[in-house]
Amino acid sequence: MPQAPRTVSIKTATPIWLLLVELRTPLVVLILVYAISVLGLVLIPGMDDQGQVWHVSFLHAFYIVSYTGSTIGFGEIPYPFTDAQRLWMLFVLYASVIAWLYALGSVLSVLSDPAFKQLQHHRRFVRRIQSLKVPFWIVCGYGGAGAELVRFLAEHGIRCVVIDGDQSRVDAARLSELPYEIDVAHGDAGQPQVLVDAGVAHPLCRGVLAMTDHDQINLTIATNTRILASRVPVYSRSEKDSTTRNLLSFDVEVVIDPYRIMAREMVQMITKPTAYALYQQLVDPTICEVPMPPKVPAGHWIVCSSGRCAETLVDAFRRAEIPFRLISPDPLRTGGVAGMVRGLGTEATTLREAAISEAAGVIAATPDDGDNLSIVLTAQAENPALFLVARRNRPTSEPVFAAGPFDLVLRMGRILAQEMYARIRSPLLHQFLVQLESMPEPLVQGLIHRLQGKRVNPEAQITHFSITLSANAAPGAFDWMAEQPLTLGQLLIDPDGSTLPALCLLVVRLTGDLVPFPGDGFVLATGDQCLIWGESTVESRLDWMLGRRDLLADAQHRRTASA
Amino acid sequence: MNTQRVWFAFFIVFALTLNFGFFWGEIDNPNHHNPFEFFLALVVSLIATVLKIGDRSHIGAVLLATSLVADIQLILAAVMWGYSAQVIGEVSPATMASIVSLAGGAMLANVTSVILLLSETLQLKR
Repeated sequence: MPQAPRTVSIKTATPIWLLLVELRTPLVVLILVYAISVLGLVLIPGMDDQGQVWHVSFLHAFYIVSYTGSTIGFGEIPYPFTDAQRLWMLFVLYASVIAWLYALGSVLSVLSDPAFKQLQHHRRFVRRIQSLKVPFWIVCGYGGAGAELVRFLAEHGIRCVVIDGDQSRVDAARLSELPYEIDVAHGDAGQPQVLVDAGVAHPLCRGVLAMTDHDQINLTIATNTRILASRVPVYSRSEKDSTTRNLLSFDVEVVIDPYRIMAREMVQMITKPTAYALYQQLVDPTICEVPMPPKVPAGHWIVCSSGRCAETLVDAFRRAEIPFRLISPDPLRTGGVAGMVRGLGTEATTLREAAISEAAGVIAATPDDGDNLSIVLTAQAENPALFLVARRNRPTSEPVFAAGPFDLVLRMGRILAQEMYARIRSPLLHQFLVQLESMPEPLVQGLIHRLQGKRVNPEAQITHFSITLSANAAPGAFDWMAEQPLTLGQLLIDPDGSTLPALCLLVVRLTGDLVPFPGDGFVLATGDQCLIWGESTVESRLDWMLGRRDLLADAQHRRTASA
Repeated sequence: MNTQRVWFAFFIVFALTLNFGFFWGEIDNPNHHNPFEFFLALVVSLIATVLKIGDRSHIGAVLLATSLVADIQLILAAVMWGYSAQVIGEVSPATMASIVSLAGGAMLANVTSVILLLSETLQLKR
């Protein structure tokens, strides 16, 4: 009969078990020393107070050895020892104290062993994940993008579990200031066991975000998740078109290519600055003011970049018919670019060659932060009116980029985090952002203007949220709609009858139809989902009113009375 | 030959033989039951327990359990003996019978250990 292999993974062993295995020898030594000491005391004859021969009993012997071994030392009881007994006690004293030191030393060395600590930490992590009672997302890779995303999601109470293979990043995640104690696993996210430990099969796992720096690992995470928990959606980062195609071939829910996003953002900023500003406000929870479109001058753009970043930028600029000159150290693989200048762009001569005096702006998007800073500073010295765009690769360079004279900083990690955030926060937001791309500028300007006109508190933060007009989520509105039509203007109302400082950006009907920018007269139907954008106080007020059956009607009465 | 296995088997069998030697005799006659033999049986049983820690196989877990049973029985017997001899002042035949029967229970646990050890040894392929 073939025997099942008896291998036991180190991860499944309990720490106390490992401790006991290490303590086997010290324990045997301790027992032997005690046994020999007791035996000696019992065998050696003593003398009582009348000079009679007296034998120490086992009970007394064990008592004497115990207080001697623990260095308590009550003395020679019940009768003073004879010389033979004292000789034996010398042995007992040294042997038992040394045995104890040996045992305690072994315990301490096991407890302070890094592998033992790691094991203990891992077990605690797994137990905490298993007992999680709230929905969570698994973030693989706590680099610039991962850290930013975890922070974004925490602002809306969305919980994350982080996996990273780098100890310094794991420490950074543990020490980060978040409203909850984040669970961090130290391990390679490409290994299936690490994903399982992080709770990929947990019923409350909402999704896996593959955000590591390596496409291959992201791909492995996606395939592993598909097999381990097919219901769990995967959002993956991909920096190559081949990876993107590969990921989409097995229906990964969301694939985000940071270079493509960056190129799209640049085109949007140049051609539709207002839509760009609105976009940024919606996808970045740290931007809380009404968006101000950047003032982009006319003229051609100087793109200093190389590799895939340059390829995507050139591709996007060509499609949007934006005039540009490329400065790149190597020719692009996707084909020649007319008027390309060979070089980095850090020297004034290359910039002059690209006609910097007539340019609208410069985009310093090389993979090196130092080069990018150098390009921008050189360009500014050549032409002070330039619109300066710099790419920030590493989060550690943030202080220089934050303080520098830039009109725009392309933070690669943040771009990725914003995109992921927009998809996770609400599916409506992403649908709206797709609509926004084809929206004419005057419409977007009018929208921002309308929100400005509705504002009550100019200091209040601007945010967005979505509501569903269903019987469960909004009984107040549901009852109203059963009797009479409800318009958007009637819905966005404060319980005291005044208008709420908010707009509806998008309505998604039950049929799947999208209605962007509905007006106040728009008639709502049951099952509609609305993306609301306005001051941060609106969400709780609207929630309160929709949750009760009486308030909506009362509010309408107050409004007509005051009008 | 594995030295560790030798010590392991040695202590398990030694615990049984010592315990048997103590147990053998008239149950309530203190002259038939040597306290030193009892002391050795207790010490060897404790060491056998420690040696069994760390074997994570199923049979290892059962061996550890039987050994713990033997320890508890012997410690109970030792406490009873110490109490009657030192606190009460004399070991009555009734007390002696209790002590020996506790040791007998421990011996059953020791026998189980030895059977498990033998069965595992016989299963090994040569």
